[in-house]
Formats: sequence, C-alpha cells, structure tokens
Amino acid sequence: MSIFEKTYELKLKTPYQEKVVRVLGIESTSHTFGAGIVELRDNKVYFLANASSQYKPARGGIHPRESFTHHVNNAPKIISKALRDSGLEIKDIDVIAVAVGPGLGPCLRVGASVARFLASYYGKPVAPVNHAVAHVEIGKLVSGLQDPVIIYVSGGNTMILVQKNNRYRVMGETLDIPLGNLLDTFAREIGIAPPYVVDGNHAVDVCAEWSNEFISLPYTIKGCDLSFSGLLTAALKTAKEHLHDKKHIGRVCRSLREVAFNMLIEVAERTLMLTDKNSILLVGGVAANKVLREKMETVAKQYGVEYYGTPPEVAGDNGLMIAYTGLLHYLFGKITKPDSVLVRQRYRLDEENYPWLP
Amino acid sequence: MVAMMLNLLSRGAEAEIYLLDFFGFKAVAKKRISKKYRNPDFDQLFIRNRTKIEGKVLSELYMAGLRVPRAYLVDEEYGVIIMEYIEGDRLSNIINSLEEERVFAIAREIGRFAAHMHSLKIYHGDYTLANILINGENIVVIDFGLSGFSDDIEEYAIDLHLIVRSVNATIPHIADEFVNQMLHEYKLHFKGNSEDVIRRMMEIRVRGRYIDRELRKTIMREKYVA
Repeated sequence: MSIFEKTYELKLKTPYQEKVVRVLGIESTSHTFGAGIVELRDNKVYFLANASSQYKPARGGIHPRESFTHHVNNAPKIISKALRDSGLEIKDIDVIAVAVGPGLGPCLRVGASVARFLASYYGKPVAPVNHAVAHVEIGKLVSGLQDPVIIYVSGGNTMILVQKNNRYRVMGETLDIPLGNLLDTFAREIGIAPPYVVDGNHAVDVCAEWSNEFISLPYTIKGCDLSFSGLLTAALKTAKEHLHDKKHIGRVCRSLREVAFNMLIEVAERTLMLTDKNSILLVGGVAANKVLREKMETVAKQYGVEYYGTPPEVAGDNGLMIAYTGLLHYLFGKITKPDSVLVRQRYRLDEENYPWLP
Repeated sequence: MVAMMLNLLSRGAEAEIYLLDFFGFKAVAKKRISKKYRNPDFDQLFIRNRTKIEGKVLSELYMAGLRVPRAYLVDEEYGVIIMEYIEGDRLSNIINSLEEERVFAIAREIGRFAAHMHSLKIYHGDYTLANILINGENIVVIDFGLSGFSDDIEEYAIDLHLIVRSVNATIPHIADEFVNQMLHEYKLHFKGNSEDVIRRMMEIRVRGRYIDRELRKTIMREKYVA
C-alpha cells in the first residue's frame, strides 16, 4: 500500500482547537523544489499531495545558481500541481510552511520568497521549518516510532540523533563530508556519474556489482563522530590506478560502500547501547539505499529492536515533510508573520527546543 | 575457546566481556563479536586489527607505569584479549556524588594521564568519563578499543575534545573549572607542544556542520590568514 493511501494517527497531546488544519509545505534547500499538502482531521494526518521537480546537472555537481534558476522556473508549476492534486484552492490552506535552512543560500531564498508572497497576499501565517527536523519528523510519523535512535543520512547531513528534554541531541555526526556527498563525489570523480541515481540505484551500487572482492580502506571513527574525507581520498587514489579496469573499479566501489556503511553502523550501535532505546529509524536521502537498509535490518535483528527505514517517496527531499512539520509548528504555536521569515544557511537542528518532542 | 564456562559480565556494541579466573588472577576476557552485516573479509580484518592494537597499547601503557588493566593474553585470530579485572565504579556514574575538591583532583589526574599517554604517541579514541574507573584513590583508564599509535596531534586533540564534551554533559555546573585544571596539568606533563594540541581541540569543536561562520573564523583565524 502506498503511503498516500494510509492515514496516520497523531500521537501527540496538542493545545489546538480546530477540527481541520491544512498546510502547504515548500521545500527548496538544494536540488529539489517540492510542494506538499497535509491535512489534519480528527487527530489523523492525511497526505493530500506531494509534487516536486529536481534539478539534474548535466555534468558535475549541484551548481547553486543553476539550481536557483531551476527553482525559479518551476516554483509556480509545482505549487499549482500540488493544489490541483489535492483538489484544494489556496484559500483552503491555513498555514504556509517553508524550509528556511540548512541549505544552499540561493535555493533557500526561492522557497522563502514564494512563502512570503503567498502568506502576505493571502493573509496566512508562516511556519519556518528546519529541513533536517522535517526529515526526522516525517520518518517518525510514517513509522509510528516514538523514541527511536535516529540515523539521518543524506547528501548534506550524517547524524545519529536521540530526543531528550524537548530537543534533538546529536550523539555523533560527520566532522567533514556527509555520507551522500562521499558517494556522489566519488562517483563523479571517477566518471560514473551524473546521473547519480538511476531507478533507485546509486552509481556506486551499480559498479559494486562488478566485483566480489574487498580491499582495505581507511576506517575513521573519532569517539562517536565520523570522518569520511580520508576514505574518499584513499578510494579515489586507488581507483585512479586502473581507471579503465571494470573489475578494479567494482572492487573499490564495493569496499568504499562497505567501509562507509560499517562506520555509520558502528556509531549507531554504540548509541543504541549507550541510550538503551528499543528502535532504530533510518531517514534522509541515503535511507533509500537498499544495501544500507539490509545492513540496518541485520543490526536491528541482532539487538532485538524494531527497525524502520523511511520509504523512498518521503526519504529524499520533498514538500510533504515540510508541510507535516509545519503542521506541528502550527499546533504548538511556533508560527510567525511573513516579514520575519529569513533563510538560515547554517541552521542546526539541535539549537532550538521543539515542544512536541519527548 | 573456553567461553562456554565463563560468566557474561556485560555486552557492548563491539565486544562481550566475560569474567574468569586466569591462573589464579581475577580476569576479564574481551571477545570481539563478528557482525553479520559486515563483509566477511572486512569483518576478519577489522577484528584482527583492533584486537592487535588494543593489546599492544595496553602493554605499552602498563610498561610505562600508567594505570590500565594488564593484558595477560592477546589472541588476534579469535579476537580475544584476557586482561586484569579492575574493581571500581565508572566515573560517569559517581562523579555527581563526589565532593568538589575530589572531582578537581580527579580532573588533574585525567589531564596527567592524557599527557603521559600522548607523550608515548598513543591516543585513546574514546576518552570519556564512562571509560575511567575509580579504584580506591586512583583512576584506571579502560576500553582501548578505539585506541592507536599516531604522532598526529589531531588524535590527541580528539581525546581532549571527547573528555571535555563528556564533562560538559555530566557536570555542567563545574565543567569550566574541571577543564581548566585538567588542561593545566596536561600542559605541565605533555612532552610535545601542548598549545598546538589545545588549539586543535578548539578547532574540532567548531568543525561540525552548519556552525556559525563568524565563530569558526575567530577560532580558525590563522588558517584563514595563511
């Protein structure tokens, strides 16, 4: 069953009065411009629409200006599509939610400008949402897990989180490049990408099938923190020794993936032991990776804890997660006027309290 | 191995700890667990390397007169280390019930231990209050599972960073004084340039992602200028 056919019970005590709340969420932090709509009715959350358009570089990585141009050109189309899909008009929307950070400055400004315009023109309040928090919240909603160890892996973040005293606590994170960035950069540098992901498979995963061998690469854990940059350099150096030997590239890809995922899992395991939680939740763009999901399932089985991997539709960047987190903001009064919605490129998810957290 | 006859004392993320009698010495066996999610080649290599390094570090530190568990037997093939059993409480569990004077005395000892360890070009890798035991009057540092040999001050700075973070989380009200005393002692005993290590520690703190750019610039100014 698709996630759109299900309804989700809101397991929170909220101070709100209204029977029905509808939120439009706008996402534009990086390569995706997305618009999603959620509805709260009788304490149940319904997903009404999730439209998006992705900027795909012809070569190289994300160019902030090119991504910005893409967002500007697609914003009206995507928002109209979301409204059309949901069967609503803009006047039916109660709150405009927008991701104000962390992300690329030019891209963030597109979403913020659109949100400010819609909100001031139609007289709606705005919920300024943290993009990272949104990734986690949608995962918690879809999985039904209340207090898991959260593993958040994407192109811009790699973090192990738990919730404590109304706040997300970072147990461990990357000290340099994130996991998604590691895989993308490696693929790009040895010339197997872009496109980075085809039919849900990353270029590195495709190449990893070319060989069964394993070679030793640097494995760097510092306390509970991770460091991937040395691994990237070593893998690139090894790969470039025989760039046209398919077997060799396959071997490096497989080993790179193995080492990177094992590092992440070791930190997750340690957090699990340290905090004594009874579930694991995998969120973020890299959560769509099949190999990582399988490994996580094995870990969960070994410790006898529940495991949930966010489904691909809501694992990557999308407007729906922004809309849902905006709904939480609205229910707990964390909303603001359009003129105070400013983007924050370095907006950490652990710098603020969120009243709905345990 | 003889694991069948032993009492399981605790199970960590990486290893299982058994209690046993080793030729009349009260001992623990640390057995690294093979993980199903790992590639078998990687798994074997990983367990072998970590066991070997931990054994080496334990004996070097013990020989140098630092208080760590004595390693009786190291078996890389099985991923087992048999070492001395240390009586005592984890510092993280009891630090809040100790008197302030005693806590600062411990802080100085922690600084001294780190300085001596780093002077031997050894880093701990997980230097937190939970890995320090209080055995009578003394501290005993345990769990060298992530330790290693290196002359890179980065590794030393990481050790200091980890202990500072752990102190901030456990005793926030006296953390500043604790860190001052600890670092003072570290500077006195470290045989290299302790200022470099401490500066690197500050850098590590602002290295995480999405840290305020101005704060980072202030701390890492020299790098920006150079």
